[in-house]
Amino acid sequence: MGFLQRLGSAFSAIIAFLVGVITLVSLLLGGNPGLFGDLPQAADLAALLALPAAVLLRLVALVIALGVLIGIANLLLTHAQRLMRGRALSAALLGSFALTLFWYVARAGDTSLLEAVQLPIESSLAALLCLTLVGGAARVIAKRADIWSLLFVLSLLIVLLASLPWAELEPLRAWRDWLLRVPVSAGTRALLLGIALATVVAGVRIALGQDRAYRG
Amino acid sequence: MAEATITLAGFVLTLMVFSYLLGDLPYIGNLYRIAVYIFVGMAAAFTAIVSYEGLLLPYLQDIQDPTTSWTALGSGADIVIFSAAALIGALLLLKPIGALSWLTNSVFAVLIVVGAAVAAVGALSGTLIPLMSATGTLPAAFLSDFTATVDALLIVLGTCTGLYYFHYQARAGDDGAPAPSRLSSGLRYIGKAFLVTALGAIYASTLLSSLTILTERIGFLFSIGG
Repeated sequence: MGFLQRLGSAFSAIIAFLVGVITLVSLLLGGNPGLFGDLPQAADLAALLALPAAVLLRLVALVIALGVLIGIANLLLTHAQRLMRGRALSAALLGSFALTLFWYVARAGDTSLLEAVQLPIESSLAALLCLTLVGGAARVIAKRADIWSLLFVLSLLIVLLASLPWAELEPLRAWRDWLLRVPVSAGTRALLLGIALATVVAGVRIALGQDRAYRG
Repeated sequence: MAEATITLAGFVLTLMVFSYLLGDLPYIGNLYRIAVYIFVGMAAAFTAIVSYEGLLLPYLQDIQDPTTSWTALGSGADIVIFSAAALIGALLLLKPIGALSWLTNSVFAVLIVVGAAVAAVGALSGTLIPLMSATGTLPAAFLSDFTATVDALLIVLGTCTGLYYFHYQARAGDDGAPAPSRLSSGLRYIGKAFLVTALGAIYASTLLSSLTILTERIGFLFSIGG
């Protein structure tokens, strides 16, 4: 690694650290005068601390919007190149993109094309998911017949069967309600807390420059 | 006429997507791919429209109006923020140039670090604190109602052991291999039972949702075909 590259890497790390610390402090302490107790200028101080995060978030929102447009331009460019190499399917993507833009501009914001094309495709893809999920559940039993896969399928079957509108299944519905209220609620809380803890740790590590995920 | 065209388009596209079930047959296999390509093209177009009309255009209109301001710094700062965003967006285009990677990495650093900080603070205030306080809060009928007491204790036990399941530290045994204590193994066993039950119920809910959509699509096809 050359001297200039090391200097560039250090520059990125310093920028990341400064922006990270400023954003964290601003988000945690800004906009909440209650944190400063009985200080006479608590409201002004809270507003001042909230300012850096407000500016940075506005800046990042704008850059993300520009980034989305750049990404879409890259998608179109890639498919135009594929089309020139004889991959005819890319014509469907480019054609639908052009038609949607033309329709929207020519008909002053009309979104009927969304209803006619996008919604049927989206809901048909979601419907296909049902068959994939049934296949996945069957494979769980076929390939790993241990206590955990049995517990998984048992929980799955109780919730599925209890949703059937038959009076004979009334006791199962009581079981389903208890299952959702207690073990499922506890398991879901554990999963959500785990995700939140991992997000906080990973976020703080990136914000403090310990994880340099931005190095390309 | 427009109504009939929308219905016909929906019918044809639904059949194209369902052709996936027939497998990779010649010609027919391409129908599914064409539908997906149309979907991606259209989704990209709507995303571009929303990004421009929902974000960029209002900001462009705002910075021309001196009476409005995004921050407490006044409308002059809005122009600086917008110009900085445009400059950063332009710098993102320099990513393929290796010699300027320090510059594009710095731009990415700002974006990723702000995103990470927002995610961390959001997870802390939106999930971690509310869920922990909800789990730790005992029901009003605690101790007076046996069932409610057992349920509340089971939720606390399930949440704690479910979290403990993701704890992988263990002391080294005599042979150097990890040897977790019996207590640790037992707690992880209980936690796994709660997690598997929850995942099964979540799987069933997703299955029910997609089944509802599948029956709606089949009903739609029959209503047109019949």
